[in-house]
Amino acid sequence: MINFSFDGKAYTAQTGDTLAAALLRNGIGLVGRSFKYHRPRGIMTAGVEEPNALVTVGEGGRAEPNTRATDVFVYEGLVARSQNRWPNLNFDLGALFSLASPMLPAGFYYKTFFGSAKRWMLYEYFIRKAAGLGNAPTQADPDRFSHRAAFCDVLVVGAGPAGLQAALDAAEAGKRVIMVEQDNILGASLIRDPQELDAAWIETTAARIRAAGGRILTRTTASGYWENDLVTLTQRLSEPGQTPTHGVAQRLWHVRAGQVILASGSIERPMAFAHNDRPGVMLSQALRSYVRRFGVIPGKRLVIATNNDDAYKTAQALKDAGAQIVAILDARPAPAGANSGHRVYNDAVPLSTKGARHCLKSLSALVDGKTMEWDADLLAVSGGFTPVVHLHMQAGGTLDWNEDAQAFVPASSRQNVTTIGGAAEPQPIFKMVPVSKPKKSFIDFQNDVTLADVDLAWAEGYRSVEHLKRYTTLGMATDQGKLSNMAALGRLAEKQGVAIPEAGLTTFRPPYTPVTMGLIAGAGAKDAGAHVRRLALYDLHAAKNPIWQPLGYWFRPRSYPNGGETLAQAALREAKAVRNNVGMTDVSTLAKFEVSGPDAAAFLEIICATTVSKLAVGRGRYTFMLREDGIVFDDGTVWRLDENRYLLTSSTGGADRMATHISYVRQYLCPHLRVSAVNVQEHYAGLAVAGPQAKAVLAALIGEDPPRHMSTVPAVISGVPVIILAASYSGERAFEIYITASDAATVWAACETQVNALNGALYGLEAMEFLRIEKGHLVVGGEVDGRMTPHDLALDKMLNKAGGYIGASGLSRPALSEPGRRQLVGLEAIAGDIPEGSMLIPSEGASPQGHVSAAAFRIIEGGSVALGQLVDGFSRHGEILIASSPTRGQKARVRVAAAHFYDSAGERYRD
Amino acid sequence: MTKVTITTLPAAPLHVFEIWGNAASVAKRFKAAMGFALPATGRSGGSDALRLIRFEPTVWLVEGDASALSAILADDGAVTAIGGGIVRIRLSGPGWWTLLMEGGVFDAEDPAFSVGCSAATIIDHVNVRLHVISDDACDAYVPLSFSQGLLHFWKEAALSL
Repeated sequence: MINFSFDGKAYTAQTGDTLAAALLRNGIGLVGRSFKYHRPRGIMTAGVEEPNALVTVGEGGRAEPNTRATDVFVYEGLVARSQNRWPNLNFDLGALFSLASPMLPAGFYYKTFFGSAKRWMLYEYFIRKAAGLGNAPTQADPDRFSHRAAFCDVLVVGAGPAGLQAALDAAEAGKRVIMVEQDNILGASLIRDPQELDAAWIETTAARIRAAGGRILTRTTASGYWENDLVTLTQRLSEPGQTPTHGVAQRLWHVRAGQVILASGSIERPMAFAHNDRPGVMLSQALRSYVRRFGVIPGKRLVIATNNDDAYKTAQALKDAGAQIVAILDARPAPAGANSGHRVYNDAVPLSTKGARHCLKSLSALVDGKTMEWDADLLAVSGGFTPVVHLHMQAGGTLDWNEDAQAFVPASSRQNVTTIGGAAEPQPIFKMVPVSKPKKSFIDFQNDVTLADVDLAWAEGYRSVEHLKRYTTLGMATDQGKLSNMAALGRLAEKQGVAIPEAGLTTFRPPYTPVTMGLIAGAGAKDAGAHVRRLALYDLHAAKNPIWQPLGYWFRPRSYPNGGETLAQAALREAKAVRNNVGMTDVSTLAKFEVSGPDAAAFLEIICATTVSKLAVGRGRYTFMLREDGIVFDDGTVWRLDENRYLLTSSTGGADRMATHISYVRQYLCPHLRVSAVNVQEHYAGLAVAGPQAKAVLAALIGEDPPRHMSTVPAVISGVPVIILAASYSGERAFEIYITASDAATVWAACETQVNALNGALYGLEAMEFLRIEKGHLVVGGEVDGRMTPHDLALDKMLNKAGGYIGASGLSRPALSEPGRRQLVGLEAIAGDIPEGSMLIPSEGASPQGHVSAAAFRIIEGGSVALGQLVDGFSRHGEILIASSPTRGQKARVRVAAAHFYDSAGERYRD
Repeated sequence: MTKVTITTLPAAPLHVFEIWGNAASVAKRFKAAMGFALPATGRSGGSDALRLIRFEPTVWLVEGDASALSAILADDGAVTAIGGGIVRIRLSGPGWWTLLMEGGVFDAEDPAFSVGCSAATIIDHVNVRLHVISDDACDAYVPLSFSQGLLHFWKEAALSL
């Protein structure tokens, strides 16, 4: 026996019970309240199509709302709660909505919530209070979710008799086979009808499949069919709300299959008649499952309503179990069912039911034109069978109409998918039309859509099935219309006076059953979906307890506060150290490419828009790169390390894009060049030393005079070979030191010792930003924003006059150099601080003429400066504008200036 | 539970060996000098002292002493050091195939992916190069910056294979 609770009351279940079976075993028929009218609802099915018995299972962050009681297996300690009721399930004040149902027909909200925008705020409050079923947990999910890839020759979906046989045939033919079954045991229809093939056959077949190398996954649903026969599987490794054995609750499989065989069976249809939604009305096959699989008999006095032969198996199963078969209402004319041994009424269709709390009291039917009534606590209905064609349709398939079965069946598909078994050949049925009053004849149980709602939509002019769906919300609940769509189509076709296939179809979209958001996120659910990229010197930085800054996937030190310093205080101190003395920082994340070969310079002059070939060995220069359309997309430096060997650096943020660009140019545009371009971004860790004392630091480290500005030398620091580049991003004399990343800690330590000896400081990204803004250096993603040309950024004088670089042709378009373009400017605050990201406007209320791309404090002098983009900015120096940020409620008066505020002659670079 | 052991190997010199011309001639020179042929795409060749693993049509990853390779290439290619940016992680035990399917897109479970095979693929968004070194083990070459994250990912995944 297994202990569980429902709405706080303790119950016991038997091993293998679903929650639905366990509740029925304990005499509980009322399980939930309906979405809109709060009508009492019970258990209608025994599978994933269940629309009524939705409960919340589990506690805390592990709670899973809207779980189908038919699709969760009871485990020790399971906690389930009913939903959408207040104060409790038996006495729900929300049921007052049912009394108001005449005022709440389909689309009532389109006709109700009118008036001013302020009124909407009132409506919204009540709509939010009333909407929804279960509540999403407010605590974080403690479990993990996994994504796994799999490849196979044959994927079989469904482990009923057809699926098992198909998987066996394929596996024993030497194919790699995966078979999935959403239940926790194999057999599907054989579980409720074991007389056709017994449990021993299922066991033997599964063993043979496994012996032939096949993989069988239970509790696994094929939830989506995508292009190129990619099928996603949702595997439950633990039940909803259950603590997983190894931490992983569910696994999302991405299966790439050579062939997909769908043995997904069919879903039994309910019938539309008044009060067909009460607890005690069940689908016939579901009832048979509860009796034969779980040994649960949900009622004593049973009436069956059917239009096919299958329901007679249910009658026999219930009779065998000891229930009384009060009547069988067969919609077919005599002699259907005549030899069944039961009391059969032909030409009989249900009209209405009356109910108690957990079961029915009685029901009425129209029999051969006359109304009859029976006392019964249970009504099993079988309105036919709907093949499960969802995956076939998601695969881009088409459907044929099977007149005998009154059902759509899979036809052709543009993917390698085949449907077999009950889904391909549904049982024949007798076509019947509802005769009951439409107002309480539910067709979409989960969204409380009745035949009357379909009639109303039709009367109001909704002709397309897609419009009907959205107006009535039919088929839009978590069950996605598995029980309702065919009934709605039948009604729509009846209204249109056409056959069902002519009424149209809605779209079948993944997932087949609801999928948790955590499963979609996978392992990334815990860290925003991506790994953090760590610097080679991460541990060394972390020991100094910096403020970290996410930069793409990287985490970099933003500043190293002393004591109780704020970020701004620490950054300003660090920046002043660079201006007055010396500082060092980690620049390892910069993109770096080693370009080698006789054609290396030619290759780089295609990548870069500046000249490269004239560089002497040991020299470097600033460079930038254009897109084909002439827009600047990255910048950096290029260094000639040797006769045929160059080092190209570019921005951190653009590193991956630049790697792709270089690969594209190498492989597609220049396969003829004798060149190798290798991404060495992570091979080299980098550190920068900047400030008036930087030269002294380098001299002490390498034992000789360091290279002059924009020169490079190889050197050795503490026994480690390094490359020294004399380049500056701060406006001070500065050096970048590149070291094989595995040796970086040694060099960093040596350098830090020298910097400390000169009373220097470490500096982070915030100080670097102050320094570069004051100096007027660009940053990719800020000033270089995918819209600016070299002319706009005042880089045009550096362009390679010989052309030939990517973007040269695009750049020649007249529109890129016409007046009216935004151009790079500096901005000095007249008063106050310049808000970053603010608009530049000439006066209050005027249209924006540009924006502030980056703002900072002046490091020594104080005051606020910024870089920005301004229409015709080069010719507007001295103009006074307003930098306005309405979203922050900040503004400042600014003076337009040249885009550099510090050492415009570059004298501080010189020794 | 399927067993897999995850071990970070010590840093080692790794190089890119790229040919841009006269491939047949380079191949001949290489075999004459090194005693084994340049391996085909998706395969490896050599020994623990020097192993070449081919991941791209014209590019091999070199593990070991690469000092002789520049001379073999002459003006037909280049050798570039990349070892500082790569962490080698060994996955051993019968579960390594299954572990590689976690967060993966590559068919590591294909029986043809056997000793001496290599692949460049993506695992949980990280670009990884794989080399099967024995029936019981596979080496993964992982970018340094992602190595801690991927190690954590693999160790967690290994608990629930």
